[in-house]
Amino acid sequence: MKTRMALVATALAVLATGCGSGRPDVAAPPAYQAPRPVGVQDPAVIATGSAGPAPNCDPLASLRPTGPRPVPGAMPAGSPMATIAARGRLIVGVDQNTLLFGFRDAATGEIVGFDVDIAKEVAAAIFGDWRGHLQLVAISSAQRIPFVLERKVDLVAKTMTMNCDRWRQVSFSTQYYEAGQKVLVGRDSTAKGIDDLGGKKVCAAAGTTSIQNIAAAASKPIPVSVRDWTDCLVLLQQGQVDAVSTDDTILAGFAAQDPTTRLVGAAFTSEPYGLAMHPNAPDFVRFVNGVLDRMRSDGTWAAIYRRWLGGSATPPVARYRD
Amino acid sequence: MALLTTDKARSFLAVNLVRGRAGIVRGRARIADRANSAPGRLTIFMAALAALGCLTGLAGVVGSAQRSDLIDAVANRSGPLAVQAQQLYRSLSDADATAAAAFLSSGSEPVALRERYQADIAAASASLAALSVTSERERGPVTEIAMSLPVYTGLVETARSYNRLNLPVGSAYLREASGLMRERLLPAAKALYEIEIGNLANDRGGAASFPWLTLPLIMLTLAGLVATQVYLVRRTRRLVNVGLAAATAAGVVLLLWVGLSWVGVAAQLSASDREGSAQVELIAGARVAALQARAGEALTLVARGSGAAFEEQFTANMTALAGTDGRGGRLAEARRRATDPAVVNALGAATAAVSDWRAVHRQVRERDDGGQYPEAVTLAVGDDPAGAANAFNRVDGQLSAAIAAASRTFTERADAAGGALAASGVGWALLTLVLLTGLVLGLQQRIAEYR
Repeated sequence: MKTRMALVATALAVLATGCGSGRPDVAAPPAYQAPRPVGVQDPAVIATGSAGPAPNCDPLASLRPTGPRPVPGAMPAGSPMATIAARGRLIVGVDQNTLLFGFRDAATGEIVGFDVDIAKEVAAAIFGDWRGHLQLVAISSAQRIPFVLERKVDLVAKTMTMNCDRWRQVSFSTQYYEAGQKVLVGRDSTAKGIDDLGGKKVCAAAGTTSIQNIAAAASKPIPVSVRDWTDCLVLLQQGQVDAVSTDDTILAGFAAQDPTTRLVGAAFTSEPYGLAMHPNAPDFVRFVNGVLDRMRSDGTWAAIYRRWLGGSATPPVARYRD
Repeated sequence: MALLTTDKARSFLAVNLVRGRAGIVRGRARIADRANSAPGRLTIFMAALAALGCLTGLAGVVGSAQRSDLIDAVANRSGPLAVQAQQLYRSLSDADATAAAAFLSSGSEPVALRERYQADIAAASASLAALSVTSERERGPVTEIAMSLPVYTGLVETARSYNRLNLPVGSAYLREASGLMRERLLPAAKALYEIEIGNLANDRGGAASFPWLTLPLIMLTLAGLVATQVYLVRRTRRLVNVGLAAATAAGVVLLLWVGLSWVGVAAQLSASDREGSAQVELIAGARVAALQARAGEALTLVARGSGAAFEEQFTANMTALAGTDGRGGRLAEARRRATDPAVVNALGAATAAVSDWRAVHRQVRERDDGGQYPEAVTLAVGDDPAGAANAFNRVDGQLSAAIAAASRTFTERADAAGGALAASGVGWALLTLVLLTGLVLGLQQRIAEYR
């Protein structure tokens, strides 16, 4: 009996030490990969756009308005404007994430901004009053050209740079705003412009001229592309990129959302904004240019500028290719 | 009890062996002679059959204990853990959908949605704690969820704060949070769920396995007993040996008991899967698809213009849930396989609610695509009884009821499987004891007659 007790005791002791040796796992935790916005490309794959070099053209020259401006409510029969008038509403592709140019006012639920006010003027020129006759469709930057070509929208008013490459796909109005690409950094950054960002990560939206300009910059920054402009601000706030570089218009909206960021340096590109339309609707392009002409001369443009951007400015001069 | 039985059996055997040895000691020269003699042969029979009987009893009792453990594991460990993993997966999906819906109702975020989101996160954390590393295979997904869930909630809160300030960057934070959810958290939760379902299937398979050791041993013992009795009848012309007859009867009862209890256990466990866990798995899959479709619906609106990918998410999950025509998918399959009327009814109601939801969703898309964004948001997340939120809540509620009913069936069946083995350990040990006692007493009587 004693031997048996001893055996049992030994067995228990062996078991106990066996269990005791199962030390809790105190190995270092695995490295954590911080989350990123969906669709980030780091480094960005830059679409070369079209095959071969961009054609030589004057990107600012649009079609000249002809004849007397049609009176609201009486569009020339058979014209694209008559089709729009018959439909009862003008469909415009806009941004709803870019503070100041096209963004949703959460208090009212409406999309408002500089671009939207331009679109309202075009609708008013067709219908007399834009109210009830303007349908805003929020689109992403990469959707601008496809939406125009598929006729999902009549017009795109979304901080869109006029260039020869895009002229080959869509038609632009005359220039209605002059933007320039700048750099947004954190307040503590020592960078004073794109030249100081060699080897650093710089963010812009995919499918924009901005991301191409970053990739082409002499200082060789690392371009990081996102689906939506505001994703760049998220990446900057999370310290996942060193800077955001795009049009000063968009960057001003970012700086307004985050006071710990600031715009630095002079504009290193010129980004003329135009309204994009279908290439097979020259009458509509001439009509819209007529509206823009009136806005330049009667002070409407200046009023819109004052409302969204503050201060006074003179509208860009229209150029025509006839 | 098992020890006692084996001890007793061993003492019977020992007595017998000692006697055998005494015989050998008495005259080594007569060994061959004795083995050929009738008492010698009977002694050998007795020793062999007693050993076989002991082995049979041992195998039966140990097998019964193992089987009970596995049934217990099905009912009380792998079953509940699979439920926890399914709840974790559901809670995370629900958090994703609810955060997006709450975000859309900007300015006046509804208290009910806020509470639902917080309950989801709390439930997910609790499920994670219950699941925390029960084996090495679970470590990867559990660690991923434990690391990413706090980051996810941080992103959601940042999105909320910016949204309250009416700043567009809020929606970018919510999209990032949702991306983290669907690219890392949900896949980890799904992997965890599959591991737990696999564990449950393994335990169930083990518990319902055929008693390959015990049954053949009983049959062998019975064959030995019958052969011995035939031998005795031929040698002694006496038809009945009470001891051996009792041993044979005990063996037959043991055979029937082991066989029938196995049939019972296997049938209940099979039913626990067919009517319980397999249906829960199917319906839970449907529910997660519904939740992810809801998240896609809300996120399409949150994404404000770049939501095409989210709309695809809605369509893909809706197709998985109910097919392209609203009459297929997981819902239809679950309905086909449902056995409980309560489950069938709940699934029928869910199918009807899905077609309502689809119809409302089309209206939501028409409004949003037609530029009526505020109206689309109201229809998608407002408390209008004809709105998408109501239709979705009905789908979710009915699926939840169906899961609860199927889970109840699972528990009942798993418990019944345990019941089929009730008292088997004690009973089989006692029967083995009766068998051994009858064998030894019966044969001792005959052997004594030769002296």
